[in-house]
Amino acid sequence: MSRFFATGSDSESEESSSADEITPKAPGTTLKQSLLLSDDEEDTKRVVRSAKDKRFEELTNLIKTIRNAMKIRDMAKCLEEFEQLCRAFLKSKNIVDKEGVPSFYIRLLADLEDYLNLLWEDKEGKKKMNKNNAKALSTLRQKIRKYNRDYETEITAYKENPQESADEEEEKEAGDSGSSSDSDDDDDDDDDGVSAKAFLKKKPESAPDASKFLKSSKGSGESSSSEDDDEGGWGSDPVGSGSESSDEDQGKSASLAVVFLKKTHESEKSADKKVSKRKKIKKEHLEEEPEEGEGEEVEGGWEKVKGGVCLVKEKPKMFAKGTEINIPVVVKKLNEILQARGKKGTDRAAQIELFNALAAITAENNLGQGILVKIKFNIIASLYDYNPNLAAFMKPDMWKKCLDCINELLDILFEDNNIFIGENIAEDSENLAISEQPFRVRGCILTLVERMDEEFTKIMQNTDPHSQEYVDNLKDEGKVCNIIDRLLDYLETKGSTEEICRVYLRRIMHTYYKFDYKTHRRSLGLPAESKSEQDQDESEGEDSAIIMDRLCKFIYAKDRTDRIRTCAILCHIYHHALHSRWYQARDLMLMSHLQDNIQHADPPVQILYNRTMVQLGICAFRQGMIKDAHNALLDIQSSGRAKELLGQGLLMRNMQERNAEQEKIEKRRQVPFHMHINLELLECVYLVSAMLLEIPYMAAHEFDARRRMISKQFHHQLRVGERQPLLGPPESMREHVVAASKAMKMGDWRTCHSFIINEKMNSKVWDLFPETQRVREMLVRKIQEESLRTYLFTYSSVYDSISMHTLSEMFQLEIPTVHSIISKMIINEELMASLDQPTQTVVMHRTEPTSLQNMALQLAEKLGSLVENNERVFDLKQGVYGGYFNRDQKGSYQQKHGGYQRGGYRNQNQNNY
Amino acid sequence: PSFPRVFTTQAASMASTAGTLDSPVKQIQIEGMVVLKIIKHYQEEGQGSEVVQGVLLGLVVEDRLEITNCFPFPQHTEDDADFDEVQYQMEMMRSLRHVNIDHLHVGWYQSTYYGSFVSRALLDSQFSYQHAIEESVVLIYDPIKTGQGSLSLKAYRLTPKLMEICKEKDFTPEGLKKANIGFEHMFEEVPIVIRNSHLINVLMWELEDKSTVADKHELLNLSSSNHLEKSLQLLMDRVDDMSQDIVKFNTYSRNLSKQQQQKHQYLQRRQQENAQRQSRGEPQLPEEDINKMFKPPQPPPRMDTLLIAGQVNNYCQNVKEFTSQNLGKLFMAEALQGHN
Repeated sequence: MSRFFATGSDSESEESSSADEITPKAPGTTLKQSLLLSDDEEDTKRVVRSAKDKRFEELTNLIKTIRNAMKIRDMAKCLEEFEQLCRAFLKSKNIVDKEGVPSFYIRLLADLEDYLNLLWEDKEGKKKMNKNNAKALSTLRQKIRKYNRDYETEITAYKENPQESADEEEEKEAGDSGSSSDSDDDDDDDDDGVSAKAFLKKKPESAPDASKFLKSSKGSGESSSSEDDDEGGWGSDPVGSGSESSDEDQGKSASLAVVFLKKTHESEKSADKKVSKRKKIKKEHLEEEPEEGEGEEVEGGWEKVKGGVCLVKEKPKMFAKGTEINIPVVVKKLNEILQARGKKGTDRAAQIELFNALAAITAENNLGQGILVKIKFNIIASLYDYNPNLAAFMKPDMWKKCLDCINELLDILFEDNNIFIGENIAEDSENLAISEQPFRVRGCILTLVERMDEEFTKIMQNTDPHSQEYVDNLKDEGKVCNIIDRLLDYLETKGSTEEICRVYLRRIMHTYYKFDYKTHRRSLGLPAESKSEQDQDESEGEDSAIIMDRLCKFIYAKDRTDRIRTCAILCHIYHHALHSRWYQARDLMLMSHLQDNIQHADPPVQILYNRTMVQLGICAFRQGMIKDAHNALLDIQSSGRAKELLGQGLLMRNMQERNAEQEKIEKRRQVPFHMHINLELLECVYLVSAMLLEIPYMAAHEFDARRRMISKQFHHQLRVGERQPLLGPPESMREHVVAASKAMKMGDWRTCHSFIINEKMNSKVWDLFPETQRVREMLVRKIQEESLRTYLFTYSSVYDSISMHTLSEMFQLEIPTVHSIISKMIINEELMASLDQPTQTVVMHRTEPTSLQNMALQLAEKLGSLVENNERVFDLKQGVYGGYFNRDQKGSYQQKHGGYQRGGYRNQNQNNY
Repeated sequence: PSFPRVFTTQAASMASTAGTLDSPVKQIQIEGMVVLKIIKHYQEEGQGSEVVQGVLLGLVVEDRLEITNCFPFPQHTEDDADFDEVQYQMEMMRSLRHVNIDHLHVGWYQSTYYGSFVSRALLDSQFSYQHAIEESVVLIYDPIKTGQGSLSLKAYRLTPKLMEICKEKDFTPEGLKKANIGFEHMFEEVPIVIRNSHLINVLMWELEDKSTVADKHELLNLSSSNHLEKSLQLLMDRVDDMSQDIVKFNTYSRNLSKQQQQKHQYLQRRQQENAQRQSRGEPQLPEEDINKMFKPPQPPPRMDTLLIAGQVNNYCQNVKEFTSQNLGKLFMAEALQGHN
């Protein structure tokens, strides 16, 4: 039905626009009327016209102010404006030369002179004037006298016949253009006459034509009636301005102008009629809106009018006056609005407005909470719809509106226990009416909140993290958490387990990465520094660890989708790790077996996994588990793409590897800035761990041919440091670590210590830990121990024996520690020595091979592999030919060469070839 | 380091002599002055693993090559790229001719670092020398050994076999196999005789008497590990290279055999199909160029491997020589100690 009507209205609008076109054109045969067709003139001399318009508008504006000043006898102002006018007139000299002096200008000059003379003669009035004004009057009078001498002829002509001269001007002007545009007119007429088809073809043009016509008529209307204040009034109030201008003409304008105005008036009327017709249609069938919208795009010129009318006038009259507003009517209305949703050309902002209005009406009429809830759902949905592109983020204010709406919705839901909402309630089985039965409304608040949360993330992603704006936006996170908390409360009583799991995950996602300072402080035994009430509230709240534990455990038990559980586990581990509960975190990680199958997860989960692993590694480091820390961080750091793997930024890559589409997807995965893990901290932790592991290892295996690297990354940094032609004091974190490594290689723990822990490194890295002091102490201890080991490895060949006292003094370690370290080394056969208990000395056995021996061993090993390779070549040859031709031959071949003594290698591997 | 090139005029002038040698050079007779000049050149300009090079001048007399003079190539860096070596050599030889000194190009000399000289560059430049001037040789001077008390100066030239191969530039495995050349037969050493005038000999005797014991007996130095370590290090590097080459060759031959198999299968299938077609009375499939379908993999050049093997051999000889000498010294030292 709506479709039918829509097309009807479309054709109607066509007709009306055609009528518009014909109205001015039909009488265009006579010269007099052709002058009305200023649109043609505009077509031919558009450029000149616009310049002229601009200048003349300037002039008329100035004139207007002068006339106003005249009315209130403000001579000072008059003088000022007059001077401006003269300047403006000079500027438009070009145009004036072409067009002749405009009549309105002459008129003003004449009027002003008369007026000034009048004032001058009025001695009494002059006396009353203040000094300024009097002075201005005299100056102005002199000026205008001088000025008017140039235009004497025109002014006298005007004074003789004030009206005619003005019209003549106009006529002349229009006549010029009219004659030039005559041929065009004829053409147009012919076209009109030829066929309907030709006309139809021209249709799109007709509308702009018409509008142009209207516009220009406005321009000339103004120029003819200089006192017309209501410049822009025409567009907004067509009828009014028409009548006004005709009123103000007051006989100043000639009959022609009247005719002209009448003509426009007529066309206006037709346009007006059309608009009103439209209005009527609209009132009857609101659904038509989208189609109308599409029509609008074609019509172009009419859009504004309609939009204004629709929005301004429609809203209050959502329902016909007198209709009893009850639930079915509102629901029907709601559906009407809803049908427009998502269609092309629907004004989304208007839709939101409509919904809001509807909600207001509903509330006003006390239709019950059910319907209100339903409308609220729709408002939020349409707020989300406002952005057509899913990738783009919502405007923060839109999002805030949405936030408020959700809050209100939750208010209602909490207030009224009688409302059931759910996504699986069918539309038909909804119960919106106030009755004994509880309300049943279709809709899922959880989805809405989730979407809201996602939009929040998107907003954060798209805000510059170093701006105040980001901080402001981040403040809203509290509100988001608040809503999630409320929703959680709500769903805990009403929702299904699935929904609870989902909302729990949301809650977890907002909790896991935040360090719980108050618990930390409490555990340190410090009194909570309560600065404000809010702080106090917070400190009284539950420990985040307890919350995490409760929520996660629920999810572990109840969740059926793997994804939520995975996320929950990862968040839980992250949270544990963040709060230095290393063993819990590690056990959870190991028990979950996530490491085995995380590569099958989707990228966001993988990013979360990476974040968790990194956090776990950092946690291990803080606890002094250097090896664990290194292992946890190895994967992330060795790739060199830590930034990308953690979702903290895109790597610069050329466009071949990634097209724009992929880039967009990757951008969407980025973690908002406030959740970032400090990459420098990460790298530093990794490098320091690698240093503590690698340097003793390197010292121990100096001559080992098959020495493998523990950390490639670390070696790379070392090499970079070596390549430096001039070694200055370390600047960056990496340089510090490299310098420290070098010191450690020599067993110089003091230098190493000063490189790792100093002010620069503190501010860059170590102060980022919550328990800075403890970490630093641990680090010093580790450096001492590892330096001792390195020292022993490197210099044991120099010593026959060394006293443990000396070692203990050298490395500032207690003797038992030194003892235990050396014992461990001896047990592991890393150090060929024995401990002499009574004298507390280490006696070296000196059984390590000399460097030459080491080399010889290496060479032997290399030769072994060379022989192996050589054998392989030989085998290949033999195998190939043997297999290729026939077995017998191979046998004889082998027999022939049976005398060859070949290594065991061949015998072992013979079957492989 | 850049290796010396033979320039054309010299080659042309020698072309007449080339090939007209009645009997190949069997011995090289070097003037004492040449030896001293070479040693001095290294002393002044070479240090560490840097090598110095120069041109040998002399004459062929019967079956011996007399090297009577030499001059060094100036060291020049990358900066003065416009330095014209050929021009310098020409100038040098012209000047020498003016003072009536032998000016005929008979080869070149080069210092070495722990006996590492067998390289592609040396091969190429010696080939070009020998190609132009048949009797030319390369003198290898080992400053380290000389420093230990025994002058080490060796003359090498390419064997005729290797000359053939280099001429054909066929370094594929097959080519080398056909030529039946091993690393032992790449270079041949020519015995050297150092000749001094009688006056110099007399002077030498005199000097010998005057010199102190300490000056003379540096060859009794017992320290060995440093030299051996260096040698081993170099040897190891070469062995690594060798391993790499072998792995390369291994992959090549594996690829080749794989392809052979494919080719064979393809041929068989084609044969079968043709047989079927024949039985059905259809025309046979046209023969296609099998080599086009199965492009044989690029065989790795084997010359480098040969050279490496030669170098390894060289190192081994060096180490062997050194250790045997040192062992003797050690026994001597032991005996001395026991005697005291």
